[in-house]
Amino acid sequence: MKNPKEIFVNVKKCTGCKTCEIACAVEHSKAKNLYSAISELPTVKPRLSVEWHLSGKSIPVLCRQCDDAPCMHACITGAIRRDSRGVVVTDTDKCIGCWTCVMVCPFGVIGRHLQTHKAYRCDRCPDRDTPACVQACPTGALVFAQSDEYSRDKRLAFVSEIAEATKEKA
Amino acid sequence: MQNTRYLIIGGSAAGIACAQTIKDNIPKADVTILSDEPDKPYFRPLIPYILTGKKTVSDISMLGSGPYTHRDLKVLTGCMASKVDTVNKIVFANTQEYPYDKLLIASGSRANIPKELEGQLCKGVFALRKLNDAREMIEILPSTKHVVMLGGGLVNLKTAFALVEIGIKVTLVVQSLEILSQIMEPQDAYLLKDAIVKSGINIITGKKAVGVIKKNNSALAVALDDQQEIPCEIVCIGKGVKPNVEFLDGSGIKVDGGVVVDRFTACNIPDIYSAGDVAVTYNPITGQKVLTGLWTNAVEMGKCAGLNMIGCPTAYAGTFGVMNATQIGGIPFVSMGTVHTKDGDFEVYTHKGRDSYRKVVFSKDGTRLIGIILISDISKAGIYRYLIREGRDITSIKDLIINHKINYASVMK
Repeated sequence: MKNPKEIFVNVKKCTGCKTCEIACAVEHSKAKNLYSAISELPTVKPRLSVEWHLSGKSIPVLCRQCDDAPCMHACITGAIRRDSRGVVVTDTDKCIGCWTCVMVCPFGVIGRHLQTHKAYRCDRCPDRDTPACVQACPTGALVFAQSDEYSRDKRLAFVSEIAEATKEKA
Repeated sequence: MQNTRYLIIGGSAAGIACAQTIKDNIPKADVTILSDEPDKPYFRPLIPYILTGKKTVSDISMLGSGPYTHRDLKVLTGCMASKVDTVNKIVFANTQEYPYDKLLIASGSRANIPKELEGQLCKGVFALRKLNDAREMIEILPSTKHVVMLGGGLVNLKTAFALVEIGIKVTLVVQSLEILSQIMEPQDAYLLKDAIVKSGINIITGKKAVGVIKKNNSALAVALDDQQEIPCEIVCIGKGVKPNVEFLDGSGIKVDGGVVVDRFTACNIPDIYSAGDVAVTYNPITGQKVLTGLWTNAVEMGKCAGLNMIGCPTAYAGTFGVMNATQIGGIPFVSMGTVHTKDGDFEVYTHKGRDSYRKVVFSKDGTRLIGIILISDISKAGIYRYLIREGRDITSIKDLIINHKINYASVMK
């Protein structure tokens, strides 16, 4: 698929509230409801995490769906492929839990489920138009957009900032 | 460009990754793969799963699986290259001639058989390397009570667990002082050794097999260097691999242990490339030349060679000699980079827990991460691989590394 929508992170807007993590876990539960999800087995896991930069800034980190995905090529069972949406997915039937993908992912975003003995990761919520984390983010720090439209918006925002600043000076 | 004939010797990780890369970029490219195996390409690391019956031969097929989306690659099976004529650009295999414009040598490696066992091969003695080896072993498994495995490396350990799983007694004979000596030091392996012993596998260390005792050309026992004889029906040799380079004799292609290539995976003769177990690559930390028997390395190198062959110059980033992740007896572990520290000058931190272990190796001046062993908690291991490979100054995040609290945000600049 050409130019698929991707999840972008606007670091400036993230407050580190972790609402995205909760929404992700609930979306990947059987019940799709927070109260039942908590006690579900196998334990429900979020597929992204809010991490902290040395400066103290919070940053949501999730699978970047790398063009040349190291996990996909390193997998020794052929369990990882790119689907028709352009999303890198793990076939849990094929996964043997050897963790080679965990060893090669430079973002550290592939989780190991210790009960199922399978690797798990962001699947871009195949049943939803907008991924659960993006929809849940209260500050708009997560954005689901095509890369060209996202960069156009960024450019426009930057240009209008400059325009505003020049106006004030004048 | 579309008339270029791409010929690949070897139908495993490097060969298929290369063919896939060429086809991804030039869908109509004329690519032919010569494979000496009777089977279509398969994921070799899954052979132990064939023994237990957890996976079938079709489950482990490569074509159409994972990144290998080109199901219709032209793979000629049972086709063993015997000679390369680099002047007329022809490869000879099974008395046929295969002309090429661009050639990849990805002939891989075969099981290394120690000298003392060379003349002793008979029924029941295996080096579990190919699907056919597994088929032969499965045939005699019903009448097998005891398997003696020579070598304490990963391949043997995985096979040992597979055999125990189907109710067969296993004894592991390890020449070194401890198991997994290629990828860790003796004191790093205690948790894994406990798991192995708990599973019922018998381990004998510091002993060497000197011969196989036979009856009617079938294995009866293994003789060790301390006069001990261990009765068994199957002997499994797991003593590493050696590159398949013999067919290149007289071709003019430079061989030094394995096929010598430059940073762009090219051989000393134009239009010939090499990748995978057969190719000599280099270690980005030490700069040393290395031969690896690693699937992940073979794929990476094969992809790189594919790009170079289609005229898209791509440097290969090299690989650590040690780069393994797996799970043994329920315990996951990762070992990568420089992890043998006994005889070198390094800054080493170890954490010994009841259920987990880690060893972090920094350069002598303490500014670069050069190796790590994680046992049990291997989360986010890929970030360490990235830090080792890039040779980054890690001073500001050193505490996080030592305490295994690293995450991606903390390594962002």
